[in-house]
Amino acid sequence: MFILRFLARRLFQGAIIVFLVSALIFTLLRVVPGDPVRLMAGGMAPEALIDQIATEMGLRDPIYVQFGRYMGGVVHGDFGESFVRPANGAAVGGASFNDSTRSERAKVLDLIAQTAPKTIQLALLAMVFALIIAVPIGVWGGLNPGKLPDRLALYLSSVFVSLPNFWLGIVLALLLSVKLNLVPAIGYKGFAYTILPAFVLAIEIAPFIIRNLSVSVAGVMGQTFIDIARVRGLTRNQIVFRHAMKNSAVPLLNLLGVQFSMLLGGVLVIEFIFDYPGLGLLTINAVMQRDFPLIQGIAIVTAAAFVLINIVVDLCATAIDPRLDY
Amino acid sequence: MDRRKFLRYGAMAGAAFAAPRINPDFFFTAARAADVRPLTFLSAENITGNWDPTSHTTLSQSNIEGFVMGFLTRAPMRPETPDEVIYELATSIREIDAHHLEIKLREGVSFHDGKPFTAADVKATFEYGAQLDRPKQVYPGPTDTFEVITPDDYTVIIDTSKGGYGASLFIFLASYLPILSAKDVAEGSKGALTQRLNGTGPFKFVEQRGNDTVMEAFPGYFKGAPKIAGVTFSFVGDATTRMLSLMNGQADVIERLEPEQVETLEKDANIKLSRLVSVENKYLWFRCSKPPFNDPRLRKAAAHAIDRDMIMEVMGSAGQASSNYVSPIKFGYFDIPNYPKYDPEECQRLLAEAGFPGGQGLPEIEYITSTGFYPKTKEYGEVITAMLQEQGFPVTLNVMEVAAWNERLYDRPGGGPGHMVDCGWSTGSPEPDLVLRTHFHSTSKRICGIEDPEIDAALDAERNAESLEARKQSLQTNLMPMLADKVPALSLFTSVLIHGMRKDVEELFIYPDGLSDASKTTLG
Repeated sequence: MFILRFLARRLFQGAIIVFLVSALIFTLLRVVPGDPVRLMAGGMAPEALIDQIATEMGLRDPIYVQFGRYMGGVVHGDFGESFVRPANGAAVGGASFNDSTRSERAKVLDLIAQTAPKTIQLALLAMVFALIIAVPIGVWGGLNPGKLPDRLALYLSSVFVSLPNFWLGIVLALLLSVKLNLVPAIGYKGFAYTILPAFVLAIEIAPFIIRNLSVSVAGVMGQTFIDIARVRGLTRNQIVFRHAMKNSAVPLLNLLGVQFSMLLGGVLVIEFIFDYPGLGLLTINAVMQRDFPLIQGIAIVTAAAFVLINIVVDLCATAIDPRLDY
Repeated sequence: MDRRKFLRYGAMAGAAFAAPRINPDFFFTAARAADVRPLTFLSAENITGNWDPTSHTTLSQSNIEGFVMGFLTRAPMRPETPDEVIYELATSIREIDAHHLEIKLREGVSFHDGKPFTAADVKATFEYGAQLDRPKQVYPGPTDTFEVITPDDYTVIIDTSKGGYGASLFIFLASYLPILSAKDVAEGSKGALTQRLNGTGPFKFVEQRGNDTVMEAFPGYFKGAPKIAGVTFSFVGDATTRMLSLMNGQADVIERLEPEQVETLEKDANIKLSRLVSVENKYLWFRCSKPPFNDPRLRKAAAHAIDRDMIMEVMGSAGQASSNYVSPIKFGYFDIPNYPKYDPEECQRLLAEAGFPGGQGLPEIEYITSTGFYPKTKEYGEVITAMLQEQGFPVTLNVMEVAAWNERLYDRPGGGPGHMVDCGWSTGSPEPDLVLRTHFHSTSKRICGIEDPEIDAALDAERNAESLEARKQSLQTNLMPMLADKVPALSLFTSVLIHGMRKDVEELFIYPDGLSDASKTTLG
């Protein structure tokens, strides 16, 4: 029963967060300059037609009325249709206003469903790479506080965090893809296309994991139960891998949860550079084209994912440390 | 159940659900292409989402049509043989008299949907493409000004007596208009025409997959099946990304190279470059339907403030100097003697004459340009802005991403956004009216919005000329000098189309409008 109460409480809190995010995004989109109807109707459309279309679509109603109507659709699973994208999902440019032959618009949920798995794949692989890079460095640094490994972890973290991801992306694409021909870099035609952008993202998030791990491992290694473990005759490996790392995992888990959520919404630059057809590229195009329903849909889905990931992270944390109570 | 058990059981259920769905190929299939692979073409521009070829003037989509659609003739328009015409769906075109043109059609050709190609398709295409509501309306006149007669399945006679203009105008249009299926046209708006391409060209449209347009070789192509498996035409917005794709072999052809990229790619032994003087001129369009550029003196003053030699320095190998409103490879081109030259004194004189001495009293002027599609627009836009400011024009440059610029491009009632707009215009035919009439006749005025009875009359006069020679004379002695005097736009230079391609791409023919013929192309 406890689990049900926990889930009900957290999901209710999550729903409020998603609602607030939706309201904020919805309002902001409508107060910034740029008329989406102009994009829909085409560059040559007269103002009267723009007003007519906007009125028909309810875009001239008060914002709270528009928001109420939109949320009514969302709770029924209807995120609306893209203002500009056709059903095949292509990024499109302008057209003429009086052309009656324009194609059907794509459903927002379909566009998100097509792209989100690619971004999740990218984010997961980035996390795996980040852990492969950061765990040895961070644990080694934590086991030797103040010594060379600790300083090395600090220096490496500083270097990694200072590298702009767009620069690193281009340099690695040039080196690993163009010169050495090891991995493909641009677009997506299979899993291999995820490796390079994931590696760039991993370099970006590894410093946080390294610092978090080295600090928490160093802290745990100073605890009394570690001293007692030595007295109990446990080997150093047993102490590190069965006790120290497990106790250091809870703060790391929370960090990974936050990082993963940020990756889902924060891969814009990397997806643009690598032309990776995920949520990030979709978001960039949606923003540039003032595609309100798509921006709103992506914001709601990302916020919901953020909430759900954090619930899972909390569940995992209590699985590792039963003393925790959320 | 506690949280640990919930999590454990949840993970087990998830793993059990996912296991049968794992496809080992997902991880282990070679990322590199197989032996028989399609040609990958990366484009700098997005498409419109409507496959009707008459629904747009978007270059990237026209490039796709170049692979799929068939044309009556093709005009390679090479500088050494500008008048060369290659017959494709037509086998001959003959002027019966000034108002009648006879086109004989190729037999045994079929559309990708299996329907045989006949004169009915040409009739339907001409009549539909000339309708006034088509965004890519084809001139010389709307549908009610000519008649298309089809005495048999393979003969078309065009009668322009109703419109009063020469039927020879359709000779140049034959290489511009992709031939549609009469069946598709008959379905009307929201029919098959908008949903997919159906042509007689070497490649068959398969699907639009996100930003990838997928085409496969059409075995029944009348000139013989293509040697490559197909063409994948993709929109990739970032120029660096396109170049990296070419360098690592993921792309076979990329377009619109920047001069700096040319320098990099010239050093790469795996890459070759194609340079072509194009049919595209780049223009500075003035919004002629609203102040301040509704006054021709101010347009002319602005034109005299711009030193086009400086722009050519910025463009480097991506531009060629020209002094006309059409490209040097178009019919009727010559260096217009009164084409506005850099002349600060004349600029100041005109400013004073218009009531704005030294530019004082002029309203804020917005100059809209794009970045990411045309080479160097931002760079030479800054040069033009500085030169105009030097003469007293209060100009602000607004550099936009392509989609946003595209949205602001065209004229609207009361004048479009901004006061000056940068844009090129490219049409795959020697026909000059595809530029001149499109932009400067008051029934069209796509970007500049000019409505001038004198220009209309000059356009009608050259169109109605009885022979090509008379038409050329009318263009060169009347219309073109008039445009140079009224300056509804300033043609800055002629674009040089630079494509980069992998060394193993052979026999890819690129037309001066950017369309390609890959019917004989081989890869490695």
